Amino acid sequence: MNANPLANPAPQHPVPQHPAPQAAPARGLWQIAVRRLLRNRVGLASAAVVAAFLLLILTTASGLLARDWDQQYAVSFAPPTAIAGNPQDDDAVGQGGTGSQIDPRAPVDLYGVVDPLADVMARIHGLSAPQAAAVAPEPTSVSGVVDPIGDALARAKAVPKSAVTQQRAVSLTLGADKWGRSVALKVVKGAETSVLVGLAAAAVATLIGTLLGALAGYCGGWVDATLDWLYGVFTAIPYLLLVFAIAAVLQQKGVTTIVLILGLTGWTGVYRLIRAEYLKHKAREYVQAARAIGASHLRRMFVHILPNVSHVVLVQLSQQVVGFIKAEVILSFLGFGVPVDVVSWGSMLNETPNELILGKWWQLAAAAVMMAVLVTAFAMLTDALRDALDPRLK
Amino acid sequence: MSVFPLPVALFLSALVSLPVAAADMPRPPAEASPKVLNVEIPVPETTLDPAAIQDLYSAQMASVIFEGLLGYDYLARPAKLVPLLADGMPEISDGGKQWLVHLRHGVRFAPDEALGNKPREVHASDVVFTLERLLDPEVHSPFSFLLEGKIVGLDAAARRAADQHAHFNYQAPVAGLQVIDDYTLRIQLNAPDVNFGHALAQPNLGIVAPEVVRHYGDQIGGHPVGTGPYRLVRWVRGSALSFEANPVYRKRLWNFDPGTDPEARRIASRMQGHAIPAVPRVEVRVIAEQQSALLAFRKGELDILYLQNKLAPVALDGRGALKPDLRKLGVQHEVTTEPEILFNYLNVEDPLVGGMAPERIALRRAILMAQDDEAFIRVIRKGQAVHLPYPVPAGVVGHDPAYRSLLEYDPAAANALLDAFGYRPGADGFRRTPQGQPFAVRYWRQSEGETREFEELYKRGLDQIHVHFEGHPVPFPDLLKAERACQVTTRLGAWIADYPDGDDFMQLFYGPNTHANNLACFQNAEWDAMYRKSVTLVPGPERDALYHRMARMLETLGVAKVSHTRLHHMLLQPKVVGFRKSMVSAVAEWPFVDLQ
Repeated sequence: MNANPLANPAPQHPVPQHPAPQAAPARGLWQIAVRRLLRNRVGLASAAVVAAFLLLILTTASGLLARDWDQQYAVSFAPPTAIAGNPQDDDAVGQGGTGSQIDPRAPVDLYGVVDPLADVMARIHGLSAPQAAAVAPEPTSVSGVVDPIGDALARAKAVPKSAVTQQRAVSLTLGADKWGRSVALKVVKGAETSVLVGLAAAAVATLIGTLLGALAGYCGGWVDATLDWLYGVFTAIPYLLLVFAIAAVLQQKGVTTIVLILGLTGWTGVYRLIRAEYLKHKAREYVQAARAIGASHLRRMFVHILPNVSHVVLVQLSQQVVGFIKAEVILSFLGFGVPVDVVSWGSMLNETPNELILGKWWQLAAAAVMMAVLVTAFAMLTDALRDALDPRLK
Repeated sequence: MSVFPLPVALFLSALVSLPVAAADMPRPPAEASPKVLNVEIPVPETTLDPAAIQDLYSAQMASVIFEGLLGYDYLARPAKLVPLLADGMPEISDGGKQWLVHLRHGVRFAPDEALGNKPREVHASDVVFTLERLLDPEVHSPFSFLLEGKIVGLDAAARRAADQHAHFNYQAPVAGLQVIDDYTLRIQLNAPDVNFGHALAQPNLGIVAPEVVRHYGDQIGGHPVGTGPYRLVRWVRGSALSFEANPVYRKRLWNFDPGTDPEARRIASRMQGHAIPAVPRVEVRVIAEQQSALLAFRKGELDILYLQNKLAPVALDGRGALKPDLRKLGVQHEVTTEPEILFNYLNVEDPLVGGMAPERIALRRAILMAQDDEAFIRVIRKGQAVHLPYPVPAGVVGHDPAYRSLLEYDPAAANALLDAFGYRPGADGFRRTPQGQPFAVRYWRQSEGETREFEELYKRGLDQIHVHFEGHPVPFPDLLKAERACQVTTRLGAWIADYPDGDDFMQLFYGPNTHANNLACFQNAEWDAMYRKSVTLVPGPERDALYHRMARMLETLGVAKVSHTRLHHMLLQPKVVGFRKSMVSAVAEWPFVDLQ
């Protein structure tokens, strides 16, 4: 980004162009960065939005909120409360049911087949549902262990089917999905998965990229050549093919898998930038000076140079988070995403094509708005960070 | 979602529309123009060599070019075999082992350069060649199972060719295929098989001429020469096919059995006596995107459209009737059910849910009772399916619409059943085995396509009976492999009729078919004995009684629960008359349809 003249009326602290290895000037750089960040109102607002999301994620992860997102709260595709009561929705496909009211307890002809569970089933069928649960103490039971809460649990479960149906809401704040789950709860719980995936994958990618970039840039020679070759291999393969290949190797689904897929494919950009920075910095005077006073290679790489290129790392990290939140959505949309007992914005968007055919738009709207807000806020925060951290922009 | 980026899609659609524009141009004014039937297929055809065909749409194409010895009555439900090239139904003797077939006189192959551009009469030797060719190792027919192990000496001949890496010797006589004269053939079977007629009625056994096959060699797939009502006149591969009425087609008139069905009777009263085929030209377009096909239909560019269930809500309202805009156009709508079953099965050999101990049977039955078929139909199928508790679907011989399942959705009873057998909940609320071990039921599905919803519903079912769920999506080929190896714990199986007889469905649970079609790996001496007996019975009350017992036993032992069968919607332009969805999907309806 070009220097922004409006962002520059800073007090003219004499910041050294190439900070010496002492701690004090480095702190000065950070202080300036913080001051610059605090002056950027858009950046602060974005930071507040991001912080709010992180808070939300803490509440859902700790189980305070949206723990029961998988429960059925409403009828299938209950509309958002604001537009509820539209009578034409009632006969839409997916609402009415097939009208097949089969009584599962009605006696059926066995056609002479011996039912090995006949007596147990007769006892269950002979009782009303809540009583049926109390059949538990039963001679065929081989386990002698008596569960103290077993009966109570069972009684609670054995609610007749019709009673459950009656309790279901006909509209919810943000509507319901096909299974009658609350879209509001899903979108909140989905934020947890999406943001965690974004953060974790970005951390993995940035870590790999920084380490390899530092090695290649600092060592040069055959190390650089080998790592460049690896970089070449990774960037030569089309991105989605690479994703599919890694997914095929990992052979399982889950949040960890997605983090690994994204992290293992996303490090190349960071690597390229960090390598270039190290190439530039390793010849500078302060590194020469560090060498002169006997600092080891590792110390020079990570104690002397790294702080001076950390703005690149930080900015890359935050850009990656945005990219990976979007990538998780794409992966889930392609079916490489989270398993069915986890919800993410991607898995929500994955459900929407079928819903849109039926005219049920609320899940798409909720997930898309949440994602747009977070991604925009994060992107603007990244911009602000870059402005604040770049040592060339005083 | 379109697979192609926009420019490619535009290019492709231009390709698709070109031939139609070309076909339109030379057409003279309205009155004089010959009738043209415009239809679509959603997947490109692959080959028109009957023996080599694997896919449904190629089979449909082949079904109008070729004819087999037998076919199906266009209107009769359940399906009824009728003679096509045979002169009358085969005479079956020796308890079902000997089939004597008389050939219709005067049936001719369409003229082709391989036949000296002259029509040639079909003889019994052509039938023998056709039957032998299905097992020819060089043809690699995906439908070789139709004849495998059935005809005396034929498998040995095929094995000889395969072992010696030689060509199949069509000159050497096969004991089971005796040509008595040009119009008579005796087929000797290894074992009694009253269903052999269904094999003879498949489009893969459309009669071909040996000269044509030899003349075109490995290009035979592009040069179909048959005796059927149409012949191929233009083929833009993967894009469009044009058919014209076969000029030497034998005189054939509409004469089908409508039974008691009022709709069929209405069609019959209008069509009986009509010539077959009535429409002289058929244009088939490949339209991969169903949305595009629907648009083409709305514009009148297609006369018949198979409306996929995914798009049903676009054209139909919540009650399954046409939406007003289509109704105003006078569009006709035909709904049938597919000759298929979708069923949840549990692997009887599985270390966790398998076995015949009472508590395992109870676990399986509880799992099946927790599956909500009504929700499956309403939510996943969007109402485009009907509940079907019986393993034999409607329209297939042996179906019983009145059958009721023992395992209807009843989570309360399922919970009680698990309680009764000692599957008690642990501290986390999920049940333990009677031995106190935690367990999870692993649900398999293919990772491609829209099967994630199946998994969601299955999990909701297991949640209700407090059984731990574990989703296991794998690529389809791996799934098939695991299924054959009896490693799949449970899955929603699907089976569509190869031939419209209950036997094709009952064999799904026959013990010796384990590691093949018997996905539940169910092996039970009593059941298998009943199956073996059913194969020897002609369809009728005795076999039906046996089928009922077999179906019930699958439920009492918790092997499988049949769930539903999908609806099949056809949209027809107002001018289309005489259309009835073919009972066998591989047989196209066009020869029996007319345009007003």
